Amino acid sequence: MIDPEELRTRARDLLEGGQVRAVIGYRRGTRGWAAEPVVITRSEEAQDLVWDPSCVHNLALYLVQDRRRRGVLRGPPDRPIGILAKGCDARAIVVLMQENYVQRDEVYIIGLSCESSGMLDERKLAGAAEGIDPQDLEAVDFEGDAFVLSSRHQQWRLPAAGVMAERCLECRNPCPKVHDTLLGKEPREQERRGQALTPAMSDPFAELQRFEQTADSVEARWDFWSRQFDRCIRCFACRSVCPMCYCEECMVDSISFVVTPDTTAQEKANRLRWIERSASRSDNIGYHLTRALHLAGRCIDCGECERVCPVRIPLRLLNTKMERESRERFGYEPGASVEVAALLSSFRDDDPNDFIR
Amino acid sequence: MSEDPKTTYEPRIIAFLCKWCSSAGSDLAGVSRIQYPANATPITVPCSGSVSPQYILTAFRKGADGVLVSGCHLGDCHYLEGNYLARRKLFLVKELLEFIGLEPERFRMSWVSAAEGAKFAQVITDFVADLRPLGPQDKLQGQRP
Ligand code: SF4
Ligand code: SF4
Repeated sequence: MIDPEELRTRARDLLEGGQVRAVIGYRRGTRGWAAEPVVITRSEEAQDLVWDPSCVHNLALYLVQDRRRRGVLRGPPDRPIGILAKGCDARAIVVLMQENYVQRDEVYIIGLSCESSGMLDERKLAGAAEGIDPQDLEAVDFEGDAFVLSSRHQQWRLPAAGVMAERCLECRNPCPKVHDTLLGKEPREQERRGQALTPAMSDPFAELQRFEQTADSVEARWDFWSRQFDRCIRCFACRSVCPMCYCEECMVDSISFVVTPDTTAQEKANRLRWIERSASRSDNIGYHLTRALHLAGRCIDCGECERVCPVRIPLRLLNTKMERESRERFGYEPGASVEVAALLSSFRDDDPNDFIR
Repeated sequence: MSEDPKTTYEPRIIAFLCKWCSSAGSDLAGVSRIQYPANATPITVPCSGSVSPQYILTAFRKGADGVLVSGCHLGDCHYLEGNYLARRKLFLVKELLEFIGLEPERFRMSWVSAAEGAKFAQVITDFVADLRPLGPQDKLQGQRP
């Protein structure tokens, strides 16, 4: 496992040497054990950086925010920005580079391998072991294939797989492929069997498969999804947390439409509103299907949308469904390479055709 | 009045037709006086590749019982590859709609050239026949304006 001290030294050196203008990472949050994202610009701040199983956030989001802020400045930045990146974060950064949203030389990627572990799912913690109250915890740490949770008076050692985020269990490659420096090792080497990707701890798409087995008819799936869509309150948290939702004007959210002093009343009135902001079933379906399609071939399954949803809508199902179809039918793997053409701007002669008359 | 709604119900189809082929194909069906059901509202688009998934979702959300996208045969696209791109994109739309529980028969794609008036009539006839037993689509539909 990566020693957080190693990480701090690396960040400190980068900042001191002036190689990067800032480093995006994690520090201890205000809520006991849980880490929170942070952007540090001074080398003294490097000591605040942490690396533990609560580093769930996809930091690529903060790269997007940095790019947004820079958008109003003129010219490219003088120096790259440093960013800590787990396997999934790095894949998200690759997609951003593939789409030319950020350039390779604007980013300094400090790759972090989750090795044979992953991130903690806070929701699985409740009831995971006798006496654990997430409120009382002060730290969580990696220890081989376990997580060690400590409160003021007590310690628990839980098998990581039992409380690990679902997306981490399904992760094919916890080690970033694109990086400038890498901390930690390629994981589970003994299991690699000469394959390019590491076998995941559970089947990739395991959750999707479970869903499809239980809801195996059109009626059952509609029964499930209509109830889920009815519960959505359209808080847009899932979109706000998504590093791929960087559109300046989001077509599902009319208040994001850019209005300048020059925008005429007529222009405002004529703006096409495909989907209203109201949380009605139909608009919610419009919202979620639009997002699933906008993320097809781009979503790298960091699972952040599902984590932040206040009403626990299983959003990963929609995204992994699109991902699995893209893999199986089009041989497309999101976030694998900066050079390949994007899923929907390319095609193959032998794409599925039998559904067309 | 106690009529069976299934016999009185007329499916409403929104048909996005490429102007270079299927739209001309539908004209040919008309001028050749081929009889086929009048359930489809055609919307001419520049290319099947220009059909945004948003058009399809919106058609369903505004109450369409079925949506058809029809373009040129592979290799015949006026813009060379628009129909290849459409095929990939709309395959995902189709999968997604089925995934959330919309009946798979409700969304359909076809390749119909400008010379295939008879095929166009057949596509619509089959579509109407397949939609009829399903009854009105009320899953994605919002309030009618
Ligand atoms: S939902 Fe679609 S339009 Fe909105 S920000 Fe995401 S990708 Fe852009
Ligand atoms: S986070 Fe959940 S409730 Fe909020 S918009 Fe997304 S799905 Fe709906």
